[in-house]
Amino acid sequence: MRILKKSFLILVLPLVAFAAAHKFYISVTNITYSEKVKALQITTRIFIDDFDKLLEERYGITAQLATEQESDRASDYIEKYVRAKFTVRINGKDAQFRFLGKKYDNDLLICYLEVPKVVFSDIKSIEIQNELLMDIFEEQQNIVHFKLNDQRKSFILVRENNKGVLNL
Amino acid sequence: MRKANYCFFSLLFLSTVFLSAQEETKKEREPGHYSQSRFKQLYEEFATPNMFRTASGAPGPAYYQQQADYKMDIELDDKNAKIAGVETITYTNNSPDELGFLWLQLDQNTRTKDSKALIRDASEVSEAEQPEGFLKKYVDGPFDGGFHIEYVNDANGKPLPHTVNWTMMRIDLPQPLKSKEQISFSVKWWYNIPDHTINRARSGYEYFPKDGNRAYVIAQFFPRMAVYSDVEGWQNHQFWGNGEFALPFGNYEVNITVPADHILDGTGELQNRKEVFSKEMMARYEQAKKSYDKPVIIVTQAEVEVLEKGFSDKKKTWKLKAENVRDFAFATSRKFIWDMQAVKLGNRDVMAVSMYPKEGNPLWEDYSTKVVASTLKSYSSHTFDYPYHKAISVHAKNQGMEYPMICWNYGRPNEDGTYSDRVKFGMFSVIIHEVGHNFFPMIVNSDERQWGWMDEGLDTFMQYLAEQEFGETYPEAISPETKYPSRRGDPSKIVPYMGGDQSTIAPIMENPESVFQLGPNAYGKPATALNILRETVMGRELFDHAFKTYANRWKFKHPTPEDFFRTMEDASAVDLDWFWRGWFYTTDYVDIGVKGVKKYYVTDKPTKKMKEYLAARNLTEADIPAQIYLAEEGSEGVDPNLKGKLPSEVSKTLKEYMMDNLTATERAAVKEPKYFYEVTFDKPGGLPMPLIVEYAYADGSKENITYPAEIWRKSDADFKRVIASQKELIGIVVDPKAETADIDITNNSWPKKEEKSDFDNFKEQIKGK
Repeated sequence: MRILKKSFLILVLPLVAFAAAHKFYISVTNITYSEKVKALQITTRIFIDDFDKLLEERYGITAQLATEQESDRASDYIEKYVRAKFTVRINGKDAQFRFLGKKYDNDLLICYLEVPKVVFSDIKSIEIQNELLMDIFEEQQNIVHFKLNDQRKSFILVRENNKGVLNL
Repeated sequence: MRKANYCFFSLLFLSTVFLSAQEETKKEREPGHYSQSRFKQLYEEFATPNMFRTASGAPGPAYYQQQADYKMDIELDDKNAKIAGVETITYTNNSPDELGFLWLQLDQNTRTKDSKALIRDASEVSEAEQPEGFLKKYVDGPFDGGFHIEYVNDANGKPLPHTVNWTMMRIDLPQPLKSKEQISFSVKWWYNIPDHTINRARSGYEYFPKDGNRAYVIAQFFPRMAVYSDVEGWQNHQFWGNGEFALPFGNYEVNITVPADHILDGTGELQNRKEVFSKEMMARYEQAKKSYDKPVIIVTQAEVEVLEKGFSDKKKTWKLKAENVRDFAFATSRKFIWDMQAVKLGNRDVMAVSMYPKEGNPLWEDYSTKVVASTLKSYSSHTFDYPYHKAISVHAKNQGMEYPMICWNYGRPNEDGTYSDRVKFGMFSVIIHEVGHNFFPMIVNSDERQWGWMDEGLDTFMQYLAEQEFGETYPEAISPETKYPSRRGDPSKIVPYMGGDQSTIAPIMENPESVFQLGPNAYGKPATALNILRETVMGRELFDHAFKTYANRWKFKHPTPEDFFRTMEDASAVDLDWFWRGWFYTTDYVDIGVKGVKKYYVTDKPTKKMKEYLAARNLTEADIPAQIYLAEEGSEGVDPNLKGKLPSEVSKTLKEYMMDNLTATERAAVKEPKYFYEVTFDKPGGLPMPLIVEYAYADGSKENITYPAEIWRKSDADFKRVIASQKELIGIVVDPKAETADIDITNNSWPKKEEKSDFDNFKEQIKGK
């Protein structure tokens, strides 16, 4: 029990540390459950310059995110890319998420995703497959923090190991 | 009946585990284990007490320390930025051991062209670089630094065999140096002085292109004796750059020759003031010695502006003498404005001194010496009266570095003399911190090379107190702030670090070269830990006495971490092993919360659960002595109207007992609780801490209870308390004043506070778009 507890550490990554660690290519995803709306709520924080580069290389669009010249197509492409590289599975089955939108916070792009109609007591496992930016940055690390009611677990996902499973 | 009685009482004692016991019967038999208690005493971690260091944390009867006395002639070559010297070291072996060789520290060798320090750290390509950084990283060659040792001779001028191992030099002695014996030898050396603004050296020069002058802050500049002690033997761990110094005490006589138009000050008392001061400077100096409220300027900005155009070819020698110091450093330039004031400490006068180029004004003229004076007073009141005759704060760009009686500090205004609050408070804080280092480690002489936190952590803790006291003494200096904005010390400030990614956190008890984030590790966390000890765990009175005891036991000596830990307990009678273990030896964090509250009322009959339990044992209510029953609110068969009634109204048993055993007057005085709560607190974090609880009642009153950390000694996970109250409980907050550095406060309230998440806020924003 003691050992089990220890692995449920909350790895809160403060934004200051985040900026300092930038050269390591990191994204941070937080997953929580909202009892009120019966949904999994997911935020993903990605560096804007990393994502600019991705959109340029992958789709050939000069997005200029978070500037006045931001491309009209940027939002659509961000959603398209997130849907291609980010998968949620509940009890082993693909779960559909709504892409609610994005906002900017200093040098970060935050995407808001929601998996609706989830009853907490029905969840046995949640699997997150997160390959965001791994197609352009070899050393991309995607950190995933689960914080569901009392359960906390964190994963650092890399190319060779891009899935994290929380068993409830 | 007796049997039943016995049976019932054992049931009472077991009642807390009554349900879980059934589940546990299915478990496999568990293996045994060593003590996992977080309150286990630190016998395994601590060194065994001995004749050198006692179990109380004081120096023992056989405690010894070596002495190294220096006589040095130094000459600065300002044109070529070189420095050369000859030193005669007299080394006294006070240890019981025979020494076949001596180790000296050659710190400058960390800047040789082939220094291992340059290639130790991992590097990665960064896809964008500032031009300056790009050139430094990929184009510029390394600086040609490091000592050139010209000779090492014995007292008769005969060469002594010596071996340089990077930043350490071993001198092999022809005959072993016996216990209580002394040896003298000389070393001649020179080195190129680095520009400290480029390579972040702790000493060197800053070049001022506008007038062509350099301002030198010179330290770690001569081969220095390593420490030989009962703990480490020779402390000859190499100087990689982060672990600062371990140095023995000694007496210094130093003659420093510099251009005649330089202004110089350093460790020790000036011996030839009349030779190096003008008449005007002498007069101003005499005035400064009597000025207790504000500094007197010895060399003015107008005078400096003339001096810095001169570039004299003549030389001047400044003679300094210092007793019982662990190191020597000095600053010299044509550019130094110089001011001083007297500070009364006990029945002694100490001089607070500042030296700064005009680029530091008006900030430096207005504040530096005031901050030095205030720091000496604050630190002295918490430890011992500052024993040296002066403390100097020198302004050097980007610097914050300490030596005995002298330190270098940043805080540069813009070119037009304006400065932001950030620059001002940065300057105040760094001066307080570096002047404070005179106490830790210059006088309480811990081994910085091994334990960065012992001086940085203690000093940063004291800095916090001194900053707050400075703000109280000089409210106009911190205006419009009303409380000094300390960067470190307040518990909430350490939360992002302690709650951060465990893979990049090291315990405090780690060598400074091996920690990941030296700032929070060696400065912030120990300072916060001590602040929490003082404010929350021990209380100011017990803490201050113990801390003062430590400082006085170890002033002018070499303490270890155990000496500190043991003294704090020895002088306070507070068992702190759990605190040292958790905060200093692990990377655990504080997370304590309130998990749930069960409400109970007194009833006149047994609850369903109780009845079932009796039935299972073939007992009826009649078989056991009369009881007062408590039933959980909402549980089956409980009359909700009982809520808020007096127990003696509800329970005949209680009523009768009171009638039989209490007089009418006594009965009238009884304050019966009407509400009963079983509160469960939990501790997801590893660190045990006092549980600070604010209970709020329906009548608007509040009650604060601090349960000692020892509540966690038998159950590390949760802790239950029963509250019996005349008033209805409506709220519970754990750690209401954020005193414990709790990393997650979402579980600190009952009922749970509905805090809107970032996610909810976002959803609201996009609604209707």
